[in-house]
Amino acid sequence: MLQTRVGALELASPLLTASGTFGHDPAALRFLKTEDLGALVLKTVTPEPRHGNPAPRMAEFTGGVLNAIGLENKGLAYWRDHVAPDLAALTVPVVANAGGHSVSDYVAMTEAFDAMAGVAAIELNLSCPNVADGIQFSTEVAALKEVVAACRKVTPKPLWVKLSPNVASIVPFAKAAESAGADALTVCNTLIGLLVDWKTQKPMIANGTGGMSGPAVKPLALRMVWDSARAVSIPVVASGGASTAADVLEFVVAGATAVQIGTASFRRPDAISAIALELRELLTENSTSLEELRASLRWPHPVSC
Amino acid sequence: MATAELTAWTAPCTLLSRREVGPDAIIMELALPEPMTDVAPGVFAMLSPADGSGPEIPRPFSLYDLPAPDRATFLVQIMGRGTQALAAVPPGQEVLCTMPLGNGFTLPAPERPVVIVAGGVGCAPFLHYLRLRLQQGAGARTHMIYGAREASRLYDYQAFAALDGIDLRAATDDGSLGFHGNVIAALDAGLANGTLPRDADFLACGPAGLLHGFADYARKQNLQAWLSLETYMGCGFGVCNACPVATEPEGPLGAWPWARTCCEGPVFPLTSIQF
Repeated sequence: MLQTRVGALELASPLLTASGTFGHDPAALRFLKTEDLGALVLKTVTPEPRHGNPAPRMAEFTGGVLNAIGLENKGLAYWRDHVAPDLAALTVPVVANAGGHSVSDYVAMTEAFDAMAGVAAIELNLSCPNVADGIQFSTEVAALKEVVAACRKVTPKPLWVKLSPNVASIVPFAKAAESAGADALTVCNTLIGLLVDWKTQKPMIANGTGGMSGPAVKPLALRMVWDSARAVSIPVVASGGASTAADVLEFVVAGATAVQIGTASFRRPDAISAIALELRELLTENSTSLEELRASLRWPHPVSC
Repeated sequence: MATAELTAWTAPCTLLSRREVGPDAIIMELALPEPMTDVAPGVFAMLSPADGSGPEIPRPFSLYDLPAPDRATFLVQIMGRGTQALAAVPPGQEVLCTMPLGNGFTLPAPERPVVIVAGGVGCAPFLHYLRLRLQQGAGARTHMIYGAREASRLYDYQAFAALDGIDLRAATDDGSLGFHGNVIAALDAGLANGTLPRDADFLACGPAGLLHGFADYARKQNLQAWLSLETYMGCGFGVCNACPVATEPEGPLGAWPWARTCCEGPVFPLTSIQF
């Protein structure tokens, strides 16, 4: 009932983990039933180790979370030796997520992931808002196009491009990624935000600004999914505040092929299985299907102001 | 240290009872989906109201006690949004619980003395620990200094006092019970007058100020010490990297500059972290 296809990738479910919210390795899979998870999208890996930001790295607001972890990871060599060998034996497809400082970094990551049998698809994190030098790829169309085209040349594996919401319109970025050879878009990364402690007159997290996630960003992500799904013919994977089966169906109606679950996994590590159960019930009760609902949003007639 | 991480489960658990144990603290008793045995003291759970009424992030609590194999209690100091939401859950309703998480305390051999230093809600990892020490027959070699600002904030003090054979010492800033002063001063006094052993495992849990004071003191005195850290956590099960603690480069975790409090901790040997 939940089978979904994202390009060439056959998935048991439209529910995916969101990068950065389910670890660098498959350890947390123990909380999920495998038939509920479409793909395991892992945390960003960069060519060199990154120590990440000082603490505090996360703070809350009503309806969401602000984080600036700073892409803490042990680097590609460690990941290749200690994580990748365990991935091929998993029953769920793994989407590896690449970060970097430069086009050559992204190409090196893509080549490395391409060579790993356990990596089914590659997601480019061009929009992590926390590392100053990563921001240009996701907010400048030409830079995005260049890096995606360069990565496209070095892998036949499905290449997903995770877009940033921190732009006036996502449409030129969605189109640029598609024309540069992306197989799917992930829409979208976190929204840059700021939380302030008025008593200390300091930001709540050590980095100053951070990325907003959680239920509060869902309307923004829905708009971004709706805008990008109409602009391109490749699949759109939604990411942004989904925490219930109804949220998932809203994204599907707006045009998403699959939906990543992120912050909701912090409250309960089995969130994806809980949502899958609820999703099957909703589809059955309403005698409908993901196919029937996909991109079915009926837009109201334009209203003049 | 005993790792609980791989056996962790997550489930909505019925709140069986809730009782006040101070002006701002309660003990919540949950029905577990299956019996828990052989669980290390100092492991923790992530708790939030199952109806989603709390913040997006659950809160970490040490496992306080196991009144029965299928019932667990948690000592909750009501501090902010997360704990207020938990305290508002009425008995009969469900609390979402993920546990056992993290690395707890390892009990030394019965002959080895233990000195516990706890402040306020920092007593939480130790009730279960003390029960296990008594089972070891090591009560006479187990000392606990339990401190707070005032006697009313020595949460559930009677439960500790009821453990026959443990050397329990209260310390209060205002002198309303036991030693007049903080736990570090009480520790120093006990070591100076010979009523506390120096060659022992020293374990501490409490607010940041207490832990920093304890860490400084333990380093100066060259005590063999462990800390149970209370750090803001996003997930509690190792995936978000939001609970970093700086590692000691020369220590056992020194290969990476950070440890995750939720996975490598919350109990750390003092020699492994910069704190």
